Amino acid sequence: MTSLTDRYIWAAVRTVPEAQRSGLEPEIREMIEESIDVRLAAGDDPASAERATLTGLGDPERLAADYVDRPLVLVGPRYYLEWLRLLKTIAFISVPIAAAAVFVVQLFTTGSVGGAIGSAAATAISVTVHVGFWTTLLFVILERTGSTEAGMEWTVDRLPELPDGSRDGRRSELVASLVFLAVFAGLILWQQVRPAVRAEDGSGIPLLDPALWTSWLPWFLGLIVAEAFFATWIFRRGWSWSAAAVNLVLGVAFTVPALQLWAAGDLLNPAFLDATGWDPGVATEGWTVSTIVTASVLVLAVWDVADGFLKAGRASGAASPRRVLADH
Amino acid sequence: MSDDLLQGHLQELRRGTVVLACLCRLRHPDYGYALLESLEASGIHVDANTLYPLLRRLEKQGLLTSEWNTAESRPRKFYRTSPAGDDLAATLTADWDRLTTSLHRLAEGDRS
Repeated sequence: MTSLTDRYIWAAVRTVPEAQRSGLEPEIREMIEESIDVRLAAGDDPASAERATLTGLGDPERLAADYVDRPLVLVGPRYYLEWLRLLKTIAFISVPIAAAAVFVVQLFTTGSVGGAIGSAAATAISVTVHVGFWTTLLFVILERTGSTEAGMEWTVDRLPELPDGSRDGRRSELVASLVFLAVFAGLILWQQVRPAVRAEDGSGIPLLDPALWTSWLPWFLGLIVAEAFFATWIFRRGWSWSAAAVNLVLGVAFTVPALQLWAAGDLLNPAFLDATGWDPGVATEGWTVSTIVTASVLVLAVWDVADGFLKAGRASGAASPRRVLADH
Repeated sequence: MSDDLLQGHLQELRRGTVVLACLCRLRHPDYGYALLESLEASGIHVDANTLYPLLRRLEKQGLLTSEWNTAESRPRKFYRTSPAGDDLAATLTADWDRLTTSLHRLAEGDRS
């Protein structure tokens, strides 16, 4: 009896439950010794016969796992799809919510956009890691306890709906867009024509700087008209990658100058601020109205652009199953 | 056809035949390595690290019974096919024959 064989047997049996070790040990020893005998009979010297036999048997832990039917996968084919679905579902829900919440809270408490983006990214990573770890752990336990698959079997009720690319599905989207744009344009005109705030002589004081009527306000009103045409185009043609790109251009054309004007303090009418005694730059409880507006506009703009690309992606994916179905 | 692909298909086709071979051969009790060598001699190749765990699994399923023989210098575990194992061997053999007939018929149908 030499030490290599003993070490091999120990390496194998220590990985199985205590109760099964005593039964396993003589079986593996018999197998090894018989194999060595065959090699010795063929003329090998004892040392190389032992070494060749153990090499041929391979990883002792794998051998022991074979003996006691221990699974050698973290999550096997039985649960893999359920694991992947659950992981995706939880990650897609919890990561954006957590990141957005941290972003907003950080922005309001520190007022730093960069810091808020950093915190949101760190939160997104840590939530992703947690979701990945705990979900996987659940399935690793399921895989090993061999629980029944109650509630996990696939049924036809779980088939996804074919994507609704029809015009009817887009009508409500069109109506919502047009109503929103009309209200928005109406508010811009209304604050000039019938201002809510009056000066002492009874004349109205518009909210927006009247100087903008010869510069940026026509640009924004023009963009609103363009958005209305764009919404109609989407209603007629549906979302596509080029539509998402146009949506991006429109979004940038609106958001960038609006935020620049807002940041420079050129958007609001100085007379309006004087009359109301309101200063959006003054901080209350650590954050300012100015930051809130900037953050909200940014979030809405990014969401709108992302939504466009999501819908374009969904629409391009929707085209293929219909084509596939039509071919058959 | 690449060698890997060929080996994969052969392995797929032979999977399960080792069980049947063991159940038939162990109607006469024997220990692992003697079984391995007699299977080898009959043209059925199986590795020791596959055969030994397989024997233990078949015993756990009640298809084999075992007994340690300590009369000789080296203790050896002797396996023997149980009545349940015999029944299974008969069923598997019948299915094997049926498949052989079907496959031959299919192959001949191809030629005509």
